[in-house]
Amino acid sequence: MNRDYMTSKPILLVEDTPDDAELTVMSLKQSGLLNEVVVAEDGLEALDYLFGQGRYSGRNPQDTPALILLDIKMPKLDGIEVLQRLRADARTKVLPVVILTTSTEDIDLVRAYESGANAYVRKPVSLAQFQDAVRQLGLFWILTNEPPRGPR
Amino acid sequence: MEQPETAAGAGGGIELDNTELKAINARQEIEIEDLKAEYLAARNENTDLRSAALADRNEINDLKRAQRQIEKLNHDLEARNRALEALNKELESFSYAVSHDLRSPLRSIHGFSEALKQSAAAKLSAEESAWLQKIFDAAARMDRLIEDLLRLSRITRCELRREPVDLAVLARDVVHELRQSDPARNVVFAISDSLQTRADAVLMRVALDNLLGNAWKYTARQRQALISFRKEQQDGAEVFSVRDNGAGFDMAYAAKLFAPFQRLHSAREFPGSGVGLACAARVIQKHGGRIWADAKTGEGAAFFFTIPHNPVFPEDADRQT
Repeated sequence: MNRDYMTSKPILLVEDTPDDAELTVMSLKQSGLLNEVVVAEDGLEALDYLFGQGRYSGRNPQDTPALILLDIKMPKLDGIEVLQRLRADARTKVLPVVILTTSTEDIDLVRAYESGANAYVRKPVSLAQFQDAVRQLGLFWILTNEPPRGPR
Repeated sequence: MEQPETAAGAGGGIELDNTELKAINARQEIEIEDLKAEYLAARNENTDLRSAALADRNEINDLKRAQRQIEKLNHDLEARNRALEALNKELESFSYAVSHDLRSPLRSIHGFSEALKQSAAAKLSAEESAWLQKIFDAAARMDRLIEDLLRLSRITRCELRREPVDLAVLARDVVHELRQSDPARNVVFAISDSLQTRADAVLMRVALDNLLGNAWKYTARQRQALISFRKEQQDGAEVFSVRDNGAGFDMAYAAKLFAPFQRLHSAREFPGSGVGLACAARVIQKHGGRIWADAKTGEGAAFFFTIPHNPVFPEDADRQT
């Protein structure tokens, strides 16, 4: 995989709180990553985007994002359920998913990893720390990590 | 009266004289008397037995009634216990949900005030920057409070796992971390070699973190701080004690000591949110134990707690049945 390929694909941010989404998008931009950031406001919208259905019908599900940043506590479909659906579908089974949440509850951590999360990051309240975490996340998953070979 | 003749006539060769007949008669009478006596005795016995049985039956009825009453009381108590437990759980999940939901707006306040600080720092006057910093600090403080609330609710919600545990080992671990947090401090710790008990190691670690951390904090002004952790006998009971020679406190406020967010010192004197001792108390109470303190202002403090071997819990009873 080359860098251009990974940076050409979008990052999917699944986040229901607009302020949190804005801070995350801001931090991703500041990290120097050039990836487009697509924001899904809840779990259902995330699935619509990934599988090219609903308001995203017509979108090619083969165009998978480079990385999914997934909140847990969301209305309708929570992050864990979204993750389980992704892992159950061949098209999204191996996509890197990082849980990005305010929850530090053990039960959420366990459920996330059991459902196939690649990483679990707690959103710090401090913006500086958050920016740092997002920068590291972006650099690692987009530039350092070698993803499984998928359809191009 | 004519018996002798008749007997003699009928008997043919058998001759029973009067004396013999009398003797037989007398023997029979005695036998009859004996039988009568036996019968009477038996009848008496029977009456006794019957009245005893009657008494027994009354007693049994009484017992049964008492038993039914106890069962009813127990039942009521169980129902009340369950209601209380449900209420507690509800309260816990409420505080959990509130804590989480409070975090979200807090992140916005903190995040955007920091973003503003980053981008507008050059344009702001010194006073404006200070205001911004105050918003920022307040949000950070509130975040710590919420984290503390969550910590407390986590202890209450977690399940107790009793196992043999050496509290001295846990305490030495805590001391190690305290020393690392501030290597410049001069503190002498006196911890017993072994303090065996049956308790939840993870929770006891939390309790000792807070009790020893508390002693560490309030001895900060002592040139030579002394902190001990050992087992003591008090009124024939085994009691664990954490003693220090620190700032102490006025016993008039002792009742507030273990209530969350109650502080006996200002944040300026000694920093903290007032959740540490509440956490320790919840851990001890979860074990069915008791925690209390003894202190004098300026003369150090002592915290005591017990870990009963066979505590009675409603939860335990549920599990056994």
